[in-house]
Amino acid sequence: MVDFKGLNMRKSKYFFWRVGEPMVWLSASALAVTLLCALTLLIVIMVNGLGVFWPSAIQQLELQDGSRIFGQQMQVEKSPDAEALRRQYKIANRDLNGLDFRWIDEAQIVSQTEPQELLVLERVEHGDFYGTLQQLKIGGQNVPVTPVSLQKELDRVTTALDELAELEERLNRASYRMEQLRLKLLKLDYQSVSLQAPKRQRLLEEKSRLEEEFNSLVNLQSRRVTEIRKGVALFTDAAGRKKEISLADILQVYSPNRMTVGEKIIFYGHKLVELLVGEPRESNTEGGLFPAIFGTVMLIFVMSLFSFPLGVIAAIYLREYAREGLVVRIVRIAVNNLAGIPSIVYGIFGLAFFVYGIGSSIDLLFFPERAPTPTFGTGGLLWASLTLALLTVPVVIVATEEALGAIPREMREGSYALGATKFQTLYKVLLPMASPGIMTGLILAMARAAGEVAPLMITGVVKLAPSLPIDGNFPFVHLERKFMHLGFHIYDIGFQSPNVEAAKPMVFVTTLLLVLIVLLMSSVAIRLRNKMKKRYTFGTF
Amino acid sequence: MNPAFLKKIKRNDRLARWLITAGGMMIIFSVIFILVLIAKVSLPLFFSPSAQLYSSLQLQSVEQQNILAIGMDEYLETGYTLDDRGELVFFSIKGGRELSRQQFSSDGTATRLLSVESFGHQKHALLWDDGSVTVEQVRFTPVFDADNDNQRSIVYKLERLARFVAPESGRSVQTLVRVDAQGRQTRVDLLAEGTIELYQRAVTENFLGDAEVFENQHQLDATVNGRISTLTLSSNGRQLYAGTDRGELLRWDLSDIDAPERVDQLQAFADQRAITALNLVFGDISLAVGDDRGGITTWFPVRKGEQQPVLTRIHELSGHHERIEMISPSSRDKTVFSLSADGLRLDHMTSERFLLQLNPPGKIARFALTTRGNALIALTKENTLLSWKLEIPHPEVSFGTLFGKVWYENYPEPVYAWQSSSASDDYEPKMSLAPLIFGTLKGTFYAMLFAVPLAIFGAIYTSQFARPRLRGVIKPAVEVMAAIPTVIIGFLAALWLAPLIERSLGSLFLSLILVPAALMLSILFWQGARKFESLKRVERGFEFLAIAPVIIMAVAIAATLGPGVENLLFAGNLKQWLFTEMGTRYDPRNSIIIAFAMGFAVIPILFTIAEDSLSNVPPSLKAASLALGASRWQTVWRVILPSASPGIFAGTMIGFGRAVGETMIVLMATGNTAIIDLSIFNGMRPLSANIAVEIPEAPVDGSLYRVLFLSAVILFVMTFVVNTLAEIVRQRLRAKYGRF
Repeated sequence: MVDFKGLNMRKSKYFFWRVGEPMVWLSASALAVTLLCALTLLIVIMVNGLGVFWPSAIQQLELQDGSRIFGQQMQVEKSPDAEALRRQYKIANRDLNGLDFRWIDEAQIVSQTEPQELLVLERVEHGDFYGTLQQLKIGGQNVPVTPVSLQKELDRVTTALDELAELEERLNRASYRMEQLRLKLLKLDYQSVSLQAPKRQRLLEEKSRLEEEFNSLVNLQSRRVTEIRKGVALFTDAAGRKKEISLADILQVYSPNRMTVGEKIIFYGHKLVELLVGEPRESNTEGGLFPAIFGTVMLIFVMSLFSFPLGVIAAIYLREYAREGLVVRIVRIAVNNLAGIPSIVYGIFGLAFFVYGIGSSIDLLFFPERAPTPTFGTGGLLWASLTLALLTVPVVIVATEEALGAIPREMREGSYALGATKFQTLYKVLLPMASPGIMTGLILAMARAAGEVAPLMITGVVKLAPSLPIDGNFPFVHLERKFMHLGFHIYDIGFQSPNVEAAKPMVFVTTLLLVLIVLLMSSVAIRLRNKMKKRYTFGTF
Repeated sequence: MNPAFLKKIKRNDRLARWLITAGGMMIIFSVIFILVLIAKVSLPLFFSPSAQLYSSLQLQSVEQQNILAIGMDEYLETGYTLDDRGELVFFSIKGGRELSRQQFSSDGTATRLLSVESFGHQKHALLWDDGSVTVEQVRFTPVFDADNDNQRSIVYKLERLARFVAPESGRSVQTLVRVDAQGRQTRVDLLAEGTIELYQRAVTENFLGDAEVFENQHQLDATVNGRISTLTLSSNGRQLYAGTDRGELLRWDLSDIDAPERVDQLQAFADQRAITALNLVFGDISLAVGDDRGGITTWFPVRKGEQQPVLTRIHELSGHHERIEMISPSSRDKTVFSLSADGLRLDHMTSERFLLQLNPPGKIARFALTTRGNALIALTKENTLLSWKLEIPHPEVSFGTLFGKVWYENYPEPVYAWQSSSASDDYEPKMSLAPLIFGTLKGTFYAMLFAVPLAIFGAIYTSQFARPRLRGVIKPAVEVMAAIPTVIIGFLAALWLAPLIERSLGSLFLSLILVPAALMLSILFWQGARKFESLKRVERGFEFLAIAPVIIMAVAIAATLGPGVENLLFAGNLKQWLFTEMGTRYDPRNSIIIAFAMGFAVIPILFTIAEDSLSNVPPSLKAASLALGASRWQTVWRVILPSASPGIFAGTMIGFGRAVGETMIVLMATGNTAIIDLSIFNGMRPLSANIAVEIPEAPVDGSLYRVLFLSAVILFVMTFVVNTLAEIVRQRLRAKYGRF
């Protein structure tokens, strides 16, 4: 007899619970929580990162105690003790106020206006300045004060500064040549070439000539600098304090209260461009990210040169050449372990093996005269790249293996039937077909390298690199140099800078940039992979 | 076909096979190589020390019969002897050629030396037969000759640091003198009748700039059971210790010139064994005590409660079989050199590690160390001068100090501590890996607690219940999540999440109640609402979209109600309440933050692997179960989950490995304090963050450097075990379901 009790159960109140429907909902909520977390992360980064460069209005506030402040409103929240609201203002003028930000209770505010004449100055030092223009003196002469005249004078100074920058470039080249000469002389010392040797004499002559050139350049530079610094402007801040600022110290002047939305958008665009191509200022908390972006790209590039061939070859071995058996199983375990080793362990390995092992040996062999100053025996771009290459090899292996595995057997058999050797089949048939998958692996590896920081911290990344790994001096590519990196930039300015509050906007902008780069790379990679999977899924599973 | 062409193809094929196989082998090789290399760096930690006999000289001349002090420079080139006529003879260690002679004089009537006490860096206190004492220092300085290929030569210099006149009363048995950096002089005499005489002199500059002399003489109260057998004085002359022949220890505080004070008198050994040698270990905090049964113990004052600090026995070193004749500290670290009839032993105090025993032919009468502690010179009773090169790489590290509790100087009790460096040289490095391993496991535990349920249930939903179209979006989205750099997660956790949670701790706990409650309520509500056909479509894989607003609302309600509840229940300040009522301190960067941040970082990998293995369960199983009348959840719970469990286990293991090795998040979002405390309101210091913080400062090949490599080995092994386990499970699973 069949018992149809189950059918009656449908009407029961408890049926919904008995069949476990609530559990489905619970698992749905687990997924919802996960996705909401990810969404929150992105929203927080977006909200904080996107608004940084927007020139929002400067308010003039009169407070109950009679004081006055200029500031850009940052956020509003409930004050910790009372129920009232309080607002955070960026009041800038770090050199006068000591602080960049200030919390003000709403109850204290008597009036709030947005005067047109308020200016924002971006300065070389001490962050922004908010105030009004009082006087303009060029070489001791007063110049009529209008926003236009200030801009005109600033433009003049900018051109002069550009010339100065050219001069500095020449100075840098000269000092680089002098350093090279010093190293050559050191080498002669080391080889105990006699003091009278013509080679040495020639070098010494060149050195004195260079020194002369260098000194004249330095003189020229200091003259120019004093000339440029003759133009000053007098500003007053909210409290009426006067501040004289040299025009050479002002990077940019704008008055957000006068700008239209269109102008603001253009301004925003300019700031974005500056972010991408500019040099960092103020211990990295302002200015651009160019050296960090350049360092990251360079690191990823050099890393790919090593990890890509190694990973692809290993995957081909596993998939096409190795016979299934114990060895392959062990290699697979090794690959997965390689993927699972903590990145800091890679870092410490890189330090011991590449930096102190290979690097020090290179120094001993090729640059013994420079001891004890290390050349390759210290962290640098090459060693960091090699460390990251080891770290990302498994990513390439797994992706390539997957791609090769997805190619139907018929393809191989067809190729063999036509008389091709194994290598020819691989080279002419399998690799072209697997190329999207291999690309996926490479892009994923690059994304991983872009975001990895811990191993770099001990193999050569620095807060501020004096020069880029590529420049105009022979041999043009300097892989032994230290470099900057976006991920480390975040760690450094977020945690090591003296003024964390003032550095926050820059951290968020850098974060936004890095997230965009990494997410873009990995979504392209995943899309490629999914497309490829669809192409070959027939026949394999 | 052209045979040459065929040959070429075949050759290429062989070449490729060879190259590719080599590439594959390289992967195994590199994994092994990484382990071997980091293990190789850390291995010297456990090497046993060695001493190599460097030279042996027989002193021939008659006048060199009664030698009272010896010494040697740190390059093992020049040595010296000081005999009882006050003549100092410098000679070369290799060969024994005499280099020069110097005569010390007492500046008084004395002609002979009674005894010499050597301390510090080649300092000697010479006690003359008229009772006066002079303090002489021998300084060796290496000079590099720039003209002659930087040839090194050793220049020696003598310097008199102080002179003390004889005490007025009695004949002294033992005399100790010290001069501190400010020129304050201290002289202590143990007189034959058992009393102790103290003389102190200090010159200070008063506010007018005139020199003022403080000088005082005291008879110290030394009434003891038995007789005082030995004394020792700290190098600044502020602390005096005495031992008796009935096992008593005494301590005086001499800092106040006008009022020396006896601060300790205790029966150190219950069996009343005689104390035969005393000396202070480098750093002047611990006292090494040698007794007539060959035991060596170290002591320092420990404060118990509100009482005055009392000398307490801290370490017991390996010890001799015979009476201890002399104890001498290293002037570099906490190594203790002890001499008895059965030889010379080296022990490290902190690690209680026996380092070396030197058993030369003939009994050692006296010995001295070089300033750098790298060599030792000894004089035997047969007038043979022996010198050894010492190779003691890492005396302060032992299995016990790395993993056990150690009683460090100035600590009230044995602790697990990590504090690798300090400003001063005489610092006792604390390198216990226990709190770091604990920190790693604690962080991982809380992170997994957050991540595992979310990821696995999320994966179940995605693979089994969600609409295939949505699944095609969710899975890549989670995979992209995996690519978010951990430095970003760590930065947000530390600078955004930590302040947020600190401000709204009450809301956080409220949402722990409100969110499940809201979920239950909405499920109850749904039971009624699903009767409507139009709403029932939600059950075809849109549940997670329907439940999301409920969660958001519950969190929002918790955020608004949080402060009010906190006011009502905890007088407005939950953190204060935690501290006063529960005794736990709230750190802003704590395990809650780590659970969220690191959990978030491991969710994607866990999710992906779990989802893969769930999706790979053959559809026939699912179909069969549903056809038998099981509900969709029953099918998942009873049929699919058991089949996929090895894969889920593998994913959990790999996620665990990730969390163990995660560095940037913990570096930024924990306080990096090395404590052992399970509380979720404290931070931690995991192995990985510790490496990142300390390795840039660690001197290459130093103890810290090697200990950090050892912690990398531990991390490696931890992840190796879980990853290998996971991979084996996955390989089994693949074989079972015929997929890669």
